[in-house]
Amino acid sequence: MRFMVIVKADSNSEAGVMPSTELLTAMGKFNEEMVKAGVMLAGEGLHPSSKGARVGYTGKERRVSRGPFGLTGLVSGFWLIETKSLDEAIDWMKRAPFDGGAEIEIRQVFSPEDFGEALTPELREQEARLRAEGARN
Amino acid sequence: MRFMMLMIPLGYEAAPAGTMPPAEAVAAMMKYNEALKEAGVLITLDGLHPPSMGARVSFAGGKPMVTDGPFTEAKEVLGGYWMIEVKSRDEAIAWAKRCPASDHEIIEIRQVLEMSDFPADAQQAAAGFTELQARPAP
Repeated sequence: MRFMVIVKADSNSEAGVMPSTELLTAMGKFNEEMVKAGVMLAGEGLHPSSKGARVGYTGKERRVSRGPFGLTGLVSGFWLIETKSLDEAIDWMKRAPFDGGAEIEIRQVFSPEDFGEALTPELREQEARLRAEGARN
Repeated sequence: MRFMMLMIPLGYEAAPAGTMPPAEAVAAMMKYNEALKEAGVLITLDGLHPPSMGARVSFAGGKPMVTDGPFTEAKEVLGGYWMIEVKSRDEAIAWAKRCPASDHEIIEIRQVLEMSDFPADAQQAAAGFTELQARPAP
């Protein structure tokens, strides 16, 4: 099963404070362990929301607002991991070198099988092709 | 520049386990995904099961504490994302505008941190990170 681990933004990440060398070293070690165990598929950090935007949808209308956005629900980075269960994902993430009330959220990624008949054979084929070609970009 | 388009479906924080998007929405979204791919913009994409099937881990004092979903106090949760490669934030916004999203959905556009954004000493500490990110072929 694939899981997305969502790292929540805080006032530091929103202020553009880059992680210290010490934290990067600890995080590098943690990532290394996950890679060696075949758990980590991807991981990225995001610039503060002040460099981002939001788009809202009403019928054909599009409302664009520029960041920064409030901390509620805001993301600062993520991992994609592959484990056998949610519990295994939780066990891995308990070992992450976070502190000071940091919070992460672990969410299961949809797989083609989850869509059942809504994902017709044609759509399924298209999905697989997009994924394969996207990965080559 | 790489950008993440974060899909925020309002109300998804309360969605029961097993909630799936309707077939028409999936078909419309696949058409959009195809357009992203044809333009050479799409890197990867994923959808997420509702938070009711997930968990949160918080780290007060470095001690992990686990809370099972749903997270009733949450106002905005993630429903999925696209990772795209474009020349500017404006180009990313233009792509988001084309998404066949519904009235209760918001897309947030965020620039991805590249190794070159980090100061030199941090880059050294994170040496090998790019290799870690290499995604195994599906």
